[in-house]
Amino acid sequence: MNAAPPLEKDVVPDPTPPENGLSFVEEIHNLLHASVGNPISSCIQCGTCAATCPVASGGFMEHTPRRIIALIRAGFKEQVLKANTFWYCASCYQCTVRCPRGIDIAELMYGLKRYTVWKTQYQKGLIGPVFSETFVKMILRTGRSYEPILATTYIFTFGLPEMIQEAQNGTALMLKGRLPLLPPRIKRLENFKRMIRRIIPLGDSE
Amino acid sequence: MKTYAYFPGCSLEKMAQSYHLSALETTRVLGVELKELEDWNCCGATAYFHVDELLAYTLSARNLAMAEKEKLNLVAPCSGCYKNMYFTREHLLRDPDLAEHINDALAEDNLRFSGSANVQHLLEVFVHEVGLKEIRAKVTNPLKGLRVAPYYGCQILRPRKDHEDIEQPRYFEELVGALGAEPVDYPLRLRCCGGALILTNRVAALSMVRNLLESAVKAGAAVVATACPLCQVNLECYQKQVNKEFGTEFYLPIMYFTQLIGLALGIPPKRLGIGSEFVAVMPAIAEARDADPVPTGK
Amino acid sequence: MSQPKRLLIIDDDPDFVAGIKSILVKAKYEVDVAYNPKDGFQALKDKAYDLLLLDVMMGRGAEGIMVARKLGKDPNLRNMPVLIITGIREQMAFLFPGQAVHPHFVSVDELVEKPVEPKLLLDRVQALLIKSAEARKTNSK
Repeated sequence: MNAAPPLEKDVVPDPTPPENGLSFVEEIHNLLHASVGNPISSCIQCGTCAATCPVASGGFMEHTPRRIIALIRAGFKEQVLKANTFWYCASCYQCTVRCPRGIDIAELMYGLKRYTVWKTQYQKGLIGPVFSETFVKMILRTGRSYEPILATTYIFTFGLPEMIQEAQNGTALMLKGRLPLLPPRIKRLENFKRMIRRIIPLGDSE
Repeated sequence: MKTYAYFPGCSLEKMAQSYHLSALETTRVLGVELKELEDWNCCGATAYFHVDELLAYTLSARNLAMAEKEKLNLVAPCSGCYKNMYFTREHLLRDPDLAEHINDALAEDNLRFSGSANVQHLLEVFVHEVGLKEIRAKVTNPLKGLRVAPYYGCQILRPRKDHEDIEQPRYFEELVGALGAEPVDYPLRLRCCGGALILTNRVAALSMVRNLLESAVKAGAAVVATACPLCQVNLECYQKQVNKEFGTEFYLPIMYFTQLIGLALGIPPKRLGIGSEFVAVMPAIAEARDADPVPTGK
Repeated sequence: MSQPKRLLIIDDDPDFVAGIKSILVKAKYEVDVAYNPKDGFQALKDKAYDLLLLDVMMGRGAEGIMVARKLGKDPNLRNMPVLIITGIREQMAFLFPGQAVHPHFVSVDELVEKPVEPKLLLDRVQALLIKSAEARKTNSK
């Protein structure tokens, strides 16, 4: 993978720092300190990301990626963290590969998801965070993904029509032999769990 | 015979079993051995990156380290797994501190990542390793007259790995052509299917699926060829819901590219997992054949 | 005590940092701040510190653990005492309802959970400084 070409200087000056001495855009730069892309302060607001994003161009995002970057730089922290934008990102990377300033916008979306998950500050009612948390928990338990568990644990966050549709689809898949009946498990699960604990040192020993 | 460490990924165990079956059948005929990676674990999907990227890298690195132990390169049929493992390797190679940290965790399973195993997508193995010439030579049952819309989707192409052309790729079209079928050009061939949004933001994903199906149908495609289980499930299993939501009448078969290869190599449909789909595949194949019969014998 | 002790904070939360920094400065410590692990390592390279206050969830994930483990392997830095101040149990509550595990990364370290009372913070900092000074004395004997 290529690191983005370095830029000569930031185009837009950062807004005045708030009381704690750190602006929101700096906070986001810290969150993305390991990113290979250029910092979001180098965005020129050209709108390529918004136009190329299949979700934003379908009108599903409250703010387009371009607008999210503008809001971050203007210090609108609360509006950014409560936005559905990054939870509606499908990780297709079209914005990232087309950004003329070499900003890894998809990585920014991942970063914002993490940030709001850690602080439980995401918009209430979104399925995305619940789904991600359920998924991560499941893999930590068995090492592999199992669709039926996944479906039953977060399906209640759906509205009724979606829930019925999803159940119908599940039944149809089951009839076609496309859903497993038992959750798969990896063999060296104990090693696997100890491995995870080296990365996140939390939890009771099981 | 060339051997790869094969990482099926969670979807291929059941949901995309036909991809698994057809991958094994076709590679065997073409002299490639897919040796399933022993005790592989989930690649982390996208969800892990929403919570902790280091954890996501650890999951992928375990698989990479196991392939290294086998002294084999890793091949993944799922675009998501492929992207995760490919870029985990890149990140760990670029950042020795990160690699050291992850290796500290891998030691709990007696594993160590060094980066010696590279990562390829199954489609790349067919196109670049086996080669179109070799595939063409083994075709006994050319899919003449079958109009196929090759669907690249996202993560085979993006993010960009090196300097390769990700805006105008042609290799999927060329593969379809090598099978005797007719590749169909349609504008949305590189556009996202919605991925996991089908579960988290249903209406957005359904509308993305609708746009794709519409684009392929308008271009006269009889089937769509995919190289990713998530794309296949979104485009096929949710067609009914798309029709309900938007009042459309799509009935477009969505096949794995390995199923098309298998048919062209003369492998019986059943062994390619054909028959477990919601939108029947064989009528479209038969229709093309009837309209443009292949002369049998000389 | 003639020279004020020099402390480094590596923590991504500007509000929390502002809070503990003012407490420590008031107690006559000299305090520098790095808001991400990368800047943190740079600071440790540029200057000698008597103690590090380290957050866990930063940047890509539990990077504080990565920092602590790296310090433990560095002959120049592994004797610096580290106070890990983390909100990880709350940040990852959905994942692991259990206790924070503290694997001890360097010779003198301790883990406390956010939020931290000012008195507790100052007590721990002082205790770690004394402990590491004693450890140094024993080593040099």
